[in-house]
Amino acid sequence: MPSKTIDGAVLPSAHTPLHRLPKGSRARVVGIASSALFGDMDDQVTLRLKELGFLPGAMLQVIGFGLFGADPIAVRINGTKFGLRRAEAEKVLAALQPA
Amino acid sequence: MSQSVLHFALVGNPNCGKTALFNCLTGAKAKVANYAGVTVEKRSGPLAGLSRPAELIDLPGTYSLYVASPDEQVARRVILGEMDGEAQPDVLVAVVDATNIKLGLRLVLELKALGRPMILVLNLADEARRRGIRIHAELLAERLGMPVVETVAVRRQGVTGLLAALDTLAANVQVRSGRLGLPARGEAVESLYARIDTVLAECVEAPEFTPRWQDKLDALAMHPVLGLVILAAILLLMFQAVFAWAAPLMDGIEALVSWLGEWAGALLPPGILHDFVVDGLIAGMGSVLVFLPQIIILFAFILALEDSGYLPRAAFLLDRMMRGVGLSGRSFIPLLSSFACAVPGIMSTRSIPNPHERLITIMTAPLMTCSARLPVYALVIGAFVPQRPVWGLFNLQGLTLFCLYVAGIASAALVAWTARRQRGKSESFPLLLELPNYRWPNLYHFLLGLKERAWIFLRRVGTIILALSIVLWFLATFPGAPEDATLPAIEYSFAGMLGKFMQPLFEPLGFSWQMCIALIPAMAAREVAVSTLATVYAIGGGDAALGVSLAHSWSLPVALAYLAWFVYAPQCLSTIAVVRRETNSVRATLVFTAYLFALAYVAALLVRHLAALWT
Repeated sequence: MPSKTIDGAVLPSAHTPLHRLPKGSRARVVGIASSALFGDMDDQVTLRLKELGFLPGAMLQVIGFGLFGADPIAVRINGTKFGLRRAEAEKVLAALQPA
Repeated sequence: MSQSVLHFALVGNPNCGKTALFNCLTGAKAKVANYAGVTVEKRSGPLAGLSRPAELIDLPGTYSLYVASPDEQVARRVILGEMDGEAQPDVLVAVVDATNIKLGLRLVLELKALGRPMILVLNLADEARRRGIRIHAELLAERLGMPVVETVAVRRQGVTGLLAALDTLAANVQVRSGRLGLPARGEAVESLYARIDTVLAECVEAPEFTPRWQDKLDALAMHPVLGLVILAAILLLMFQAVFAWAAPLMDGIEALVSWLGEWAGALLPPGILHDFVVDGLIAGMGSVLVFLPQIIILFAFILALEDSGYLPRAAFLLDRMMRGVGLSGRSFIPLLSSFACAVPGIMSTRSIPNPHERLITIMTAPLMTCSARLPVYALVIGAFVPQRPVWGLFNLQGLTLFCLYVAGIASAALVAWTARRQRGKSESFPLLLELPNYRWPNLYHFLLGLKERAWIFLRRVGTIILALSIVLWFLATFPGAPEDATLPAIEYSFAGMLGKFMQPLFEPLGFSWQMCIALIPAMAAREVAVSTLATVYAIGGGDAALGVSLAHSWSLPVALAYLAWFVYAPQCLSTIAVVRRETNSVRATLVFTAYLFALAYVAALLVRHLAALWT
């Protein structure tokens, strides 16, 4: 199911926003989407995510979720663990990798 | 060569050990813990051991020069020389966590683009080796074009090598002044990371590895349900320990104090000096000193938790709930430090980007029970709550203490929620909370921290509490009783008059005039409530053990009301002063003081009447 990112590039494979990945799963980041939730700050949030290593090709693993509705989400990327809110996690598009 | 002072700045990601290095290099004792954002202000100290005079600046951690939350801006402004009245650093000492080198190098390359003299410190080198990470330092130095030194700051390893490298740099650096503009972002994050990958492939052998026990621990500690159970259990254990483990030591100190009282009493001839030493000095200070073991146990737990890496997990678990009341995981650490003392807690709110959230955090910080309230709680609980086991595991005293802490937290949530309802929702800066590796608390730092806390407590006993005890003894002794006195002499003293003057206001709460007097010196330091009660009851001819005197003269509902008062009352002038300074608003300070007093009064009133119905 090829689909497009914000800048119109075709993505190589099926991708899921981070918050929909199952716990324990491994995935490869395919891109960062824009989100209306952060308003003017969206570019800053995108940049910060990239700076922390959420870049296309990076492997991540979902470690766990908070109590209600997958919020916040803990992931490991490049060996570092981060806690993200759902709003941030929604921006990270990833392709699920077979276990 | 110029001999002006050279400025070195420690720069790096949050929680990579900058402050631990700072302590090693300057002999300072700044607070170190295992979570991001311990350092919110820059601090500096003389850097000894170089051949020219130098100063070392410790900066708050930052991930980037370009995207900055407000606490990271401090670092950026100092690095770029934008801070007024602040010398621009001549040498950047970039610190990287060797177990997390990729993330760290990103900032290093950003810094390198500034073209300043630089050195790279790979900290936590021992932990990296343990994980099988091999870093070829010489090759890395060549590729990056800067010296590279490995250290283990918490164990003071590699510090000599670092000093030698700094000295070599110092010999060649010219002091410069003026601002450094932030260059436009020359390179996209993607290509920067691609460069890092190339360098890492050459210089670092790192097996894909995180210790299994860390992951297993996280599966438990961050489990949505079990994690909260564990958090509650840790806190319960902490309050249990405060009572259960401290008891034998407290008995020891109590025995020592009463022995000292008797010894001094026998030595001095009966008269005014005898009364001053026995009832004023020894009863006053001794009654507070008794709580030293409890303070030490409380801080032992707090320090161990801070160093373990558990706290960011707790912030993760609580983030959703805190967001429900308009706060966020970012308020967690300021609120948590308020359990030690609200003053540093309120100061650390500077790391909260949203001004409204910051104000709410300041307003609610004193509802976190600070350690100065512990003696008051412990005294009243010890006197009125029986030491009865509950469900086999806990005892009723520890459980009561736990409830008092919970009452403070729940009230803070309620206050924050009410304030949010008035303001409406506002957008939030992303959480993006780094969850550091767990590690065993470092014994040296742990003991150093404990010693520091014990000293702070003893210094308070020796200064402010001593002074207030003396003043109070005078107020409670003079003027003496008239010849035909029918009541105990203290009822005729200034303290007695003052207490009786205040008492009508507190009549609805059931407070006696003795209890009212204790509220006044408690404004300077809450512990003094205990020494005041001790002095007042000692002069009034009460039992030697203060707890016994209280149990005889207060009813249970009133005792509980007194506890409720202390949960809320803004009884500490330094807290009010720091609120004034941090909010820079008289109005906010007045609102802060008034709402807490009102809350204290209402809560005490409710508790008294509800408890009276129930008992």
